[in-house]
Amino acid sequence: MHELSIMSYMLDTVEQQAQQSGARKVLAINLVIGERASFMDDALLFYFDMLTPGRLSAGAKLNIRRTPMRFHCAICDNDYAPAIGSFRCPDCDTVGQVTSDGSELLIESMEIET
Amino acid sequence: MTIEQTIDTLHSIKTIQIVKNLLVDNDLVAAANRQRFVASGILAVNVIAAPGAGKTSVIIRMIEALREQARVGVIEGDIAGSIDTAKVLAAGARDAVQINTGGNCHLEAGMIQRALDDLDLRQLDVVFVENVGNLVCPTHWALGEQIKLCILSAAEGHDKPIKYPEIFAASDAIVLNKIDLIELVDFERDFFYESVRALNPSAPIFEISCRTRAGISDFGFWILECLKQARGQTAELNRTASS
Repeated sequence: MHELSIMSYMLDTVEQQAQQSGARKVLAINLVIGERASFMDDALLFYFDMLTPGRLSAGAKLNIRRTPMRFHCAICDNDYAPAIGSFRCPDCDTVGQVTSDGSELLIESMEIET
Repeated sequence: MTIEQTIDTLHSIKTIQIVKNLLVDNDLVAAANRQRFVASGILAVNVIAAPGAGKTSVIIRMIEALREQARVGVIEGDIAGSIDTAKVLAAGARDAVQINTGGNCHLEAGMIQRALDDLDLRQLDVVFVENVGNLVCPTHWALGEQIKLCILSAAEGHDKPIKYPEIFAASDAIVLNKIDLIELVDFERDFFYESVRALNPSAPIFEISCRTRAGISDFGFWILECLKQARGQTAELNRTASS
Protein backbone atom coordinates (compact mmCIF):
# COMPACT_ATOMS: atom_id res chain seq x y z
CA MET A 1 0.00 0.00 0.00
CA HIS A 2 2.78 2.48 0.85
CA GLU A 3 4.15 1.73 -2.64
CA LEU A 4 1.32 3.89 -4.03
CA SER A 5 2.52 6.95 -2.08
CA ILE A 6 6.16 6.44 -2.92
CA MET A 7 5.39 6.06 -6.64
CA SER A 8 3.28 9.17 -6.55
CA TYR A 9 6.12 11.21 -4.96
CA MET A 10 8.64 9.70 -7.38
CA LEU A 11 6.55 10.57 -10.44
CA ASP A 12 6.03 14.16 -9.32
CA THR A 13 9.82 14.60 -9.15
CA VAL A 14 10.46 12.79 -12.43
CA GLU A 15 7.72 14.60 -14.38
CA GLN A 16 8.92 17.98 -13.12
CA GLN A 17 12.51 17.18 -14.05
CA ALA A 18 11.43 15.86 -17.46
CA GLN A 19 9.50 19.03 -18.24
CA GLN A 20 12.40 21.25 -17.18
CA SER A 21 14.68 19.25 -19.47
CA GLY A 22 12.33 19.65 -22.41
CA ALA A 23 11.59 15.94 -22.67
CA ARG A 24 9.00 14.66 -25.13
CA LYS A 25 9.01 11.37 -23.35
CA VAL A 26 10.64 9.58 -20.42
CA LEU A 27 12.18 6.31 -21.60
CA ALA A 28 13.53 4.90 -18.37
CA ILE A 29 13.67 5.73 -14.65
CA ASN A 30 16.42 4.26 -12.49
CA LEU A 31 15.70 3.83 -8.79
CA VAL A 32 17.82 2.49 -5.94
CA ILE A 33 15.79 0.89 -3.17
CA GLY A 34 17.43 -0.69 -0.16
CA GLU A 35 16.38 -4.01 1.29
CA ARG A 36 15.65 -2.35 4.65
CA ALA A 37 12.89 -0.28 3.05
CA SER A 38 10.32 -3.10 2.61
CA PHE A 39 9.04 -1.94 -0.77
CA MET A 40 7.87 -4.70 -3.10
CA ASP A 41 8.89 -4.55 -6.76
CA ASP A 42 5.57 -5.95 -8.00
CA ALA A 43 3.57 -3.37 -6.08
CA LEU A 44 5.85 -0.54 -7.24
CA LEU A 45 5.40 -1.61 -10.88
CA PHE A 46 1.64 -2.02 -10.44
CA TYR A 47 1.19 1.53 -9.12
CA PHE A 48 3.67 2.89 -11.67
CA ASP A 49 1.48 1.52 -14.49
CA MET A 50 -1.61 2.90 -12.77
CA LEU A 51 -0.23 6.43 -12.30
CA THR A 52 1.59 7.04 -15.60
CA PRO A 53 -1.03 7.04 -18.42
CA GLY A 54 -1.20 10.45 -20.12
CA ARG A 55 2.05 11.64 -18.52
CA LEU A 56 5.57 11.95 -19.95
CA SER A 57 6.55 8.78 -18.07
CA ALA A 58 3.86 6.65 -19.73
CA GLY A 59 5.47 3.50 -21.09
CA ALA A 60 8.84 4.21 -19.46
CA LYS A 61 10.89 1.34 -18.15
CA LEU A 62 11.15 1.35 -14.36
CA ASN A 63 14.51 -0.11 -13.32
CA ILE A 64 14.85 -0.89 -9.62
CA ARG A 65 18.32 -1.64 -8.26
CA ARG A 66 18.21 -3.36 -4.89
CA THR A 67 20.89 -2.87 -2.26
CA PRO A 68 21.21 -5.45 0.54
CA MET A 69 21.29 -4.73 4.26
CA ARG A 70 24.82 -5.14 5.70
CA PHE A 71 26.30 -5.26 9.18
CA HIS A 72 29.83 -4.53 10.34
CA CYS A 73 31.69 -6.92 12.65
CA ALA A 74 34.22 -5.03 14.77
CA ILE A 75 36.07 -8.25 15.75
CA CYS A 76 36.62 -9.50 12.17
CA ASP A 77 36.63 -5.94 10.77
CA ASN A 78 34.36 -7.19 8.01
CA ASP A 79 30.98 -6.25 6.56
CA TYR A 80 28.52 -9.11 6.23
CA ALA A 81 25.00 -9.88 5.08
CA PRO A 82 23.02 -11.34 7.99
CA ALA A 83 21.83 -14.93 7.95
CA ILE A 84 18.10 -15.56 8.19
CA GLY A 85 16.84 -15.03 11.73
CA SER A 86 19.98 -13.49 13.26
CA PHE A 87 22.09 -10.37 12.96
CA ARG A 88 25.25 -12.11 14.24
CA CYS A 89 28.50 -12.27 12.30
CA PRO A 90 28.63 -15.57 10.36
CA ASP A 91 32.37 -15.94 11.10
CA CYS A 92 32.74 -15.18 14.81
CA ASP A 93 29.11 -15.17 16.03
CA THR A 94 29.33 -11.78 17.73
CA VAL A 95 26.63 -9.19 17.18
CA GLY A 96 27.66 -6.59 14.59
CA GLN A 97 26.39 -3.11 13.90
CA VAL A 98 24.12 -2.26 10.98
CA THR A 99 25.67 -0.03 8.29
CA SER A 100 23.79 2.47 6.14
CA ASP A 101 23.76 -0.03 3.24
CA GLY A 102 20.27 -1.08 2.32
CA SER A 103 18.48 2.03 3.53
CA GLU A 104 18.63 3.82 0.15
CA LEU A 105 15.46 5.31 -1.36
CA LEU A 106 16.78 7.17 -4.38
CA ILE A 107 15.92 8.33 -7.85
CA GLU A 108 19.34 7.88 -9.43
CA SER A 109 18.80 8.96 -13.02
CA MET A 110 16.42 8.89 -15.94
CA GLU A 111 16.61 8.62 -19.69
CA ILE A 112 14.58 11.04 -21.73
CA GLU A 113 13.90 11.69 -25.39
CA THR A 114 14.01 15.34 -26.38
CA MET B 1 10.72 1.96 -41.11
CA THR B 2 11.95 4.98 -43.02
CA ILE B 3 9.69 7.25 -40.97
CA GLU B 4 10.99 5.83 -37.67
CA GLN B 5 14.57 6.37 -38.76
CA THR B 6 13.77 10.00 -39.56
CA ILE B 7 12.30 10.46 -36.10
CA ASP B 8 15.44 8.98 -34.54
CA THR B 9 17.68 11.53 -36.20
CA LEU B 10 15.40 14.39 -35.17
CA HIS B 11 15.20 13.46 -31.51
CA SER B 12 18.01 12.71 -29.16
CA ILE B 13 18.05 10.46 -26.15
CA LYS B 14 19.89 11.55 -23.05
CA THR B 15 20.43 10.43 -19.50
CA ILE B 16 19.86 12.85 -16.66
CA GLN B 17 21.51 12.24 -13.29
CA ILE B 18 19.16 13.12 -10.47
CA VAL B 19 20.19 11.34 -7.24
CA LYS B 20 17.34 12.59 -5.11
CA ASN B 21 15.62 11.02 -2.16
CA LEU B 22 12.28 9.60 -3.26
CA LEU B 23 10.55 11.39 -0.39
CA VAL B 24 12.23 14.78 -0.75
CA ASP B 25 8.89 16.60 -1.12
CA ASN B 26 7.52 15.01 2.05
CA ASP B 27 10.74 15.85 3.90
CA LEU B 28 10.44 19.54 2.97
CA VAL B 29 6.95 19.74 4.48
CA ALA B 30 8.18 17.79 7.53
CA ALA B 31 10.96 20.36 8.03
CA ALA B 32 8.35 23.16 7.96
CA ASN B 33 6.21 21.28 10.52
CA ARG B 34 9.24 20.83 12.75
CA GLN B 35 9.93 24.54 12.55
CA ARG B 36 6.39 25.20 13.80
CA PHE B 37 6.80 22.76 16.69
CA VAL B 38 10.15 24.26 17.68
CA ALA B 39 8.87 27.84 17.37
CA SER B 40 5.99 26.96 19.72
CA GLY B 41 8.26 25.27 22.27
CA ILE B 42 6.63 21.90 21.62
CA LEU B 43 8.06 18.41 21.73
CA ALA B 44 6.45 16.31 18.96
CA VAL B 45 6.54 12.52 19.21
CA ASN B 46 5.70 10.29 16.24
CA VAL B 47 4.29 7.07 17.73
CA ILE B 48 4.71 4.03 15.48
CA ALA B 49 3.58 0.49 16.28
CA ALA B 50 1.58 -2.44 14.97
CA PRO B 51 -2.20 -2.49 15.59
CA GLY B 52 -2.86 -3.50 19.20
CA ALA B 53 0.65 -2.82 20.54
CA GLY B 54 -0.80 -0.14 22.82
CA LYS B 55 -0.18 3.21 21.10
CA THR B 56 -3.31 4.86 22.49
CA SER B 57 -2.79 3.30 25.94
CA VAL B 58 0.79 4.56 26.14
CA ILE B 59 -0.35 8.06 25.12
CA ILE B 60 -3.10 7.98 27.76
CA ARG B 61 -0.61 6.89 30.44
CA MET B 62 1.67 9.78 29.39
CA ILE B 63 -1.21 12.28 29.58
CA GLU B 64 -1.80 11.06 33.15
CA ALA B 65 1.88 10.92 34.15
CA LEU B 66 2.71 14.38 32.78
CA ARG B 67 -0.48 16.07 33.99
CA GLU B 68 1.28 18.33 36.51
CA GLN B 69 4.23 19.20 34.27
CA ALA B 70 3.11 19.30 30.64
CA ARG B 71 0.01 19.96 28.59
CA VAL B 72 -0.45 17.19 26.06
CA GLY B 73 -2.09 17.37 22.63
CA VAL B 74 -2.71 14.42 20.33
CA ILE B 75 -2.98 14.01 16.58
CA GLU B 76 -4.71 10.71 15.94
CA GLY B 77 -4.12 8.97 12.63
CA ASP B 78 -6.47 6.18 11.71
CA ILE B 79 -7.74 4.71 8.49
CA ALA B 80 -11.27 5.47 9.74
CA GLY B 81 -13.17 6.48 12.88
CA SER B 82 -12.48 8.83 15.80
CA ILE B 83 -12.72 6.46 18.76
CA ASP B 84 -9.14 7.19 19.91
CA THR B 85 -9.63 10.96 19.87
CA ALA B 86 -12.55 10.59 22.26
CA LYS B 87 -10.40 8.36 24.52
CA VAL B 88 -7.44 10.74 24.78
CA LEU B 89 -9.70 13.75 25.40
CA ALA B 90 -11.48 11.83 28.15
CA ALA B 91 -8.04 11.01 29.64
CA GLY B 92 -7.20 14.72 29.88
CA ALA B 93 -5.54 15.68 26.59
CA ARG B 94 -5.80 19.47 26.19
CA ASP B 95 -6.58 19.18 22.51
CA ALA B 96 -6.88 16.42 19.91
CA VAL B 97 -7.31 16.25 16.16
CA GLN B 98 -8.39 13.21 14.19
CA ILE B 99 -6.91 12.46 10.80
CA ASN B 100 -8.66 9.80 8.75
CA THR B 101 -6.32 8.61 6.04
CA GLY B 102 -9.11 6.98 4.05
CA GLY B 103 -7.16 3.79 3.48
CA ASN B 104 -3.63 5.19 3.44
CA CYS B 105 -1.41 3.00 5.63
CA HIS B 106 0.66 5.82 7.14
CA LEU B 107 0.59 9.54 7.94
CA GLU B 108 2.43 11.99 5.69
CA ALA B 109 3.87 15.42 6.52
CA GLY B 110 1.14 17.23 4.54
CA MET B 111 -1.56 15.64 6.71
CA ILE B 112 0.18 16.92 9.85
CA GLN B 113 0.58 20.37 8.30
CA ARG B 114 -3.22 20.58 7.86
CA ALA B 115 -3.89 19.10 11.32
CA LEU B 116 -1.66 21.74 12.96
CA ASP B 117 -4.08 24.44 11.81
CA ASP B 118 -6.71 22.80 14.03
CA LEU B 119 -4.50 22.49 17.13
CA ASP B 120 -4.00 25.39 19.51
CA LEU B 121 -0.21 25.09 19.78
CA ARG B 122 0.05 27.90 22.35
CA GLN B 123 -1.85 25.70 24.82
CA LEU B 124 0.43 22.67 24.43
CA ASP B 125 3.85 21.39 25.52
CA VAL B 126 3.94 17.87 24.07
CA VAL B 127 2.16 16.62 20.95
CA PHE B 128 1.87 12.88 20.40
CA VAL B 129 1.16 11.93 16.81
CA GLU B 130 -0.39 8.48 16.79
CA ASN B 131 0.47 7.00 13.42
CA VAL B 132 -1.63 4.38 11.62
CA GLY B 133 -1.08 0.93 13.13
CA ASN B 134 1.74 -0.52 11.06
CA LEU B 135 5.45 -1.29 11.61
CA VAL B 136 6.47 -0.85 7.98
CA CYS B 137 4.96 2.07 6.07
CA PRO B 138 5.07 4.92 8.64
CA THR B 139 8.84 4.45 9.06
CA HIS B 140 9.80 6.34 5.91
CA TRP B 141 7.57 9.38 6.19
CA ALA B 142 9.03 12.08 8.43
CA LEU B 143 6.25 14.20 9.94
CA GLY B 144 8.33 16.93 11.59
CA GLU B 145 8.71 15.16 14.93
CA GLN B 146 11.75 15.50 17.19
CA ILE B 147 11.23 11.96 18.54
CA LYS B 148 10.34 8.86 16.57
CA LEU B 149 9.00 6.34 19.07
CA CYS B 150 8.52 2.66 18.30
CA ILE B 151 6.26 0.61 20.57
CA LEU B 152 6.36 -3.17 20.54
CA SER B 153 4.23 -5.31 22.84
CA ALA B 154 5.75 -8.44 24.34
CA ALA B 155 2.96 -10.55 22.84
CA GLU B 156 4.12 -9.69 19.31
CA GLY B 157 7.34 -11.60 19.88
CA HIS B 158 11.07 -11.02 20.31
CA ASP B 159 11.79 -11.51 16.60
CA LYS B 160 10.20 -8.26 15.41
CA PRO B 161 13.51 -6.34 15.05
CA ILE B 162 14.68 -9.09 12.68
CA LYS B 163 11.49 -8.86 10.62
CA TYR B 164 11.05 -5.08 10.64
CA PRO B 165 14.60 -3.75 10.96
CA GLU B 166 14.08 -0.25 9.60
CA ILE B 167 11.73 1.04 12.31
CA PHE B 168 14.04 -0.20 15.07
CA ALA B 169 17.05 1.34 13.31
CA ALA B 170 15.27 4.68 12.80
CA SER B 171 13.70 5.13 16.25
CA ASP B 172 14.90 7.56 18.91
CA ALA B 173 13.35 5.45 21.66
CA ILE B 174 11.75 2.02 21.90
CA VAL B 175 8.99 1.04 24.30
CA LEU B 176 8.46 -2.62 25.11
CA ASN B 177 4.86 -2.64 26.30
CA LYS B 178 2.76 -5.33 28.05
CA ILE B 179 5.85 -6.38 30.00
CA ASP B 180 3.49 -8.07 32.48
CA LEU B 181 2.86 -10.72 29.79
CA ILE B 182 6.52 -11.50 29.20
CA GLU B 183 6.53 -14.83 31.06
CA LEU B 184 3.32 -15.98 29.41
CA VAL B 185 4.38 -15.41 25.82
CA ASP B 186 7.95 -16.82 25.87
CA PHE B 187 9.45 -13.48 24.96
CA GLU B 188 13.25 -13.88 24.78
CA ARG B 189 14.56 -10.64 26.22
CA ASP B 190 18.24 -11.27 25.38
CA PHE B 191 17.50 -11.97 21.73
CA PHE B 192 15.31 -8.87 21.51
CA TYR B 193 17.96 -6.59 23.05
CA GLU B 194 20.74 -8.10 20.96
CA SER B 195 18.79 -7.54 17.72
CA VAL B 196 17.75 -4.00 18.63
CA ARG B 197 21.33 -3.06 19.61
CA ALA B 198 22.66 -4.41 16.28
CA LEU B 199 20.31 -1.97 14.54
CA ASN B 200 20.38 0.90 16.99
CA PRO B 201 23.15 1.21 19.58
CA SER B 202 21.88 4.29 21.37
CA ALA B 203 18.07 4.52 21.56
CA PRO B 204 16.79 4.02 25.11
CA ILE B 205 14.54 1.00 25.61
CA PHE B 206 11.72 1.33 28.17
CA GLU B 207 9.99 -1.76 29.50
CA ILE B 208 6.50 -0.77 30.60
CA SER B 209 3.02 -2.09 31.25
CA CYS B 210 0.09 0.25 30.71
CA ARG B 211 -2.05 -2.20 32.69
CA THR B 212 0.10 -2.45 35.85
CA ARG B 213 1.73 0.98 35.26
CA ALA B 214 5.21 -0.56 35.61
CA GLY B 215 7.87 1.65 34.05
CA ILE B 216 5.43 4.47 33.25
CA SER B 217 7.05 7.08 35.49
CA ASP B 218 10.55 6.39 34.10
CA PHE B 219 9.29 6.80 30.57
CA GLY B 220 7.38 9.96 31.50
CA PHE B 221 10.55 11.37 33.06
CA TRP B 222 12.45 10.74 29.81
CA ILE B 223 9.73 12.53 27.81
CA LEU B 224 10.09 15.53 30.14
CA GLU B 225 13.86 15.52 29.59
CA CYS B 226 13.22 15.57 25.82
CA LEU B 227 10.79 18.47 26.32
CA LYS B 228 13.52 20.41 28.15
CA GLN B 229 15.86 19.85 25.21
CA ALA B 230 13.15 20.93 22.76
CA ARG B 231 12.65 24.14 24.74
CA GLY B 232 16.39 24.70 24.56
CA GLN B 233 16.05 24.61 20.76
CA THR B 234 13.21 27.14 20.98
CA ALA B 235 15.29 29.49 23.12
CA GLU B 236 18.13 29.14 20.61
CA LEU B 237 15.73 29.95 17.76
CA ASN B 238 14.41 33.03 19.57
CA ARG B 239 17.95 34.26 20.29
CA THR B 240 18.85 33.85 16.60
CA ALA B 241 15.66 35.63 15.55
CA SER B 242 16.23 38.60 17.88
CA SER B 243 19.95 39.03 17.14
